[in-house]
Amino acid sequence: MGVVPTTTSSASVSSSAPSQRSLTLRKSLTALGFAVVMAICWRAAEVHPVELFSADTAAGLWKFLSGLFPPDLSASFLRTVLKATGQTLATAVAATILSIVMGLPLGILASATLWRRGILVEGARRGPGFFILSGLSSLTRALLGFIRAVPDILWAILFVTMVGLGSLAGTLALAVAYSGLVGRVYSDVFDTTDPRPLEALQSTGASRLQVFMRGVWPQALPNLIGYTLYSFECCVRAASVLGLVGAGGIGYEIGISMRLFEYGQGLTLILAFIGLLVLIDVASRRLRALSNRGAAKPRVGRRSQLRWILLTLAVVAGAGASFYFSGFTPEVFEENNVLKHATHFIGGMFPLEMGLGFISKLSGLLLQTFAIAFLGTLIGVCFGSVIALPATASLIFLEPDSTGHHGIAERSLRWLGFWVARLILNLLRAIPELLWVLVCILAIGIGPFAGTIAIGLHTAGALGKLYAEAMEEVPRRPIEALYAVGARPLQVFFRGIWPQAKPILRNYTLLRWESNLRVSTILGLVGGGGLGQAIYNNIQLGFYDRVATMILLIYALVVASDWFGHRLRASDMKNYMTLPPA
Amino acid sequence: MTYSVESVTKFYRQGHARVRALNGINLKFAPGEHVALLGHSGAGKSTLFRLLNATIRPSGGAVLFEGCDVGGMSGAEVRGMRRRIGTIYQQHNLVPSLTALENTLCGGLGRWSLAHTIRGIFRPHKSDMEKALNALESVGLADKRQARADELSGGQQQRVAIARALMQDPEVILADEPVASLDPGLADEIISLLTRLAAGSRRTLVISLHTVGIALERFPRAVSLRLGSVEFDGPSSEVHGERLRNLYAGGNLVSEQPTHGSGSHNNFKRIS
Repeated sequence: MGVVPTTTSSASVSSSAPSQRSLTLRKSLTALGFAVVMAICWRAAEVHPVELFSADTAAGLWKFLSGLFPPDLSASFLRTVLKATGQTLATAVAATILSIVMGLPLGILASATLWRRGILVEGARRGPGFFILSGLSSLTRALLGFIRAVPDILWAILFVTMVGLGSLAGTLALAVAYSGLVGRVYSDVFDTTDPRPLEALQSTGASRLQVFMRGVWPQALPNLIGYTLYSFECCVRAASVLGLVGAGGIGYEIGISMRLFEYGQGLTLILAFIGLLVLIDVASRRLRALSNRGAAKPRVGRRSQLRWILLTLAVVAGAGASFYFSGFTPEVFEENNVLKHATHFIGGMFPLEMGLGFISKLSGLLLQTFAIAFLGTLIGVCFGSVIALPATASLIFLEPDSTGHHGIAERSLRWLGFWVARLILNLLRAIPELLWVLVCILAIGIGPFAGTIAIGLHTAGALGKLYAEAMEEVPRRPIEALYAVGARPLQVFFRGIWPQAKPILRNYTLLRWESNLRVSTILGLVGGGGLGQAIYNNIQLGFYDRVATMILLIYALVVASDWFGHRLRASDMKNYMTLPPA
Repeated sequence: MTYSVESVTKFYRQGHARVRALNGINLKFAPGEHVALLGHSGAGKSTLFRLLNATIRPSGGAVLFEGCDVGGMSGAEVRGMRRRIGTIYQQHNLVPSLTALENTLCGGLGRWSLAHTIRGIFRPHKSDMEKALNALESVGLADKRQARADELSGGQQQRVAIARALMQDPEVILADEPVASLDPGLADEIISLLTRLAAGSRRTLVISLHTVGIALERFPRAVSLRLGSVEFDGPSSEVHGERLRNLYAGGNLVSEQPTHGSGSHNNFKRIS
């Protein structure tokens, strides 16, 4: 923001005075605007803080918490958990494979380098062929953007409606949702390859596809592998949650146990979920290391060929099993009802419902959705930053040589505080928003307020962790210098860490706000208010044309928030860049 | 096979300004001719090469390949023409993550069908393999065939690029400052390799060079570009006295300091 000159010459004082005043004016205007938005959101999200402290809430929470323990570890239930976990994993694997199969061709078609601009198309004659291809490419990119903008859980409920309850719906939903993601990222990766070797390849007379195969693909491959692994991890996370709307796997079982008030079973399932995430994390880390090593040295020799064959067999067998367990069983396809349902569903979407009454009702829901995201983010920022402080190592632990300041009691207290804070943040973060909604509903009932609190809790965990990490990563020198002159941790925070970390923290917060806006559109599918609630109701009632309109609305909302977020962050970065070097 | 450039103009768009890179130049290359192209960076040499192999299109005028206007060719015809023209760039010719052999094999892409290309990724055809190994042999890199391109030194990479051009077996070789990023000893070696290989099968060779001495000594014809126009075009033996001085001065080739007002950053004429 504005830099206040520190010189004392009269000229600069007089010139800085009006800017000072306009700065104050701007600040108070911002504060006023904030208060107005806050008040509107408060009403729209139906916030009743009193409810949080009522006896009913306390009783509900107590029932829930006491019900969690002990977790249900009976043999019969563990079998269910194992089956659900396997199904979730299979769903994620099958969906990832399908999303690559669909996303790769779309990604190639959407690539700008190959079809639209740059050295590979510069020399092409501007004939009809060129315009058809570049138009098709732009269209594909827009399609990918649309697929990506619709949240995966919304895809899930659409597919549940089309093909019925069960993990097949989840697999198809994730396959579609992630093909948008994969296609978009792949095409971006293709577009960032070095164009100079491509130009050289083209000059040998190679066609566009040949240039792609021999020039773009080999350059992009390491990035593609890395991103695909990341997307698989996200897919596992999503596959666990989709069940909450009836798409099979862990989420489905969690939903049932919550509805049956079997919280002990719920805890077991959540532990299984966290275990699965840890497992996937470890596995993908190993795969990453393996692929890095594999790229470094060429494979030769008979023995490695045998291993190659075995590996291929194992992969094929695993993929086949995944498809089977994720719902691609022969019986499903024998029932031609699936196709009939699907066509009925899609046919029912058109023409879109555009009635005035419906649209005006939608605007109210849109406001509520926005309010849930806004207040939820605000709650998350407040709680997250409070918990982030003790979770920041550089604030809690002094330099090893200066620990002499503290006695053993204080040191262990600090240590305890640090780890408890970290634990809370990780817990808040590990449990997805939709699960938090279920918990909040138990305490305060269905409605937007539950959604707001749920987003707040998850955001607190996600942001708190990022805040703590960002604050730990600021340059150490100034902090050490402050400690050296005897500053207390809070002073160190305000004078050493905050000024350095501020731009990064803002960026994280803005990004989280964008993602929260996306999430708030679908919280209603499990009872958290906003647009999602209306989508759920209309699907139940069979008003598919209204559903289609609302999906388009979500798309518009996501595109708009992306655009605003992009601009805001860009101007933020500009401010950051103009800061004098520290 | 004749190759000519007729009153070719090329503009680039740079923000709102239009930058003129080539300003109505005329050139003709006879079959089997060896031509050195001189001129300081920004004179329009790279633009000329890109026009010659149809990577970019002229803003005005025409590039004629065997009397055919390149601008009027269909995509397949352009690829057919490019197949007969081998281009070697200053740097970054190779796909970094492919081996020297794989990069050399890419010279055949223009002749291959898509199916042949896909098969070739896993198991190159025997005759292709032989040809590629021969090409690597003739640039002295047969022992490096399994090395990844980004593990090779700059000179080796340039030699692989030449091998790829040999694999392509073109009638014309365009070399855009092929030695500008190499040290002088290596540069000399690469240039003799190129001239030898071109002379062997009577290929046309058009090469742009920074080193005036080598250019005039090794190439019978010299063309010098300056601010997008042809400044001199004739036998190298006619370059002496005033002309030679001009070449050195305008090209900023030997002296480190620019000898007159136009520094290397002010090479384009700005028009509006």
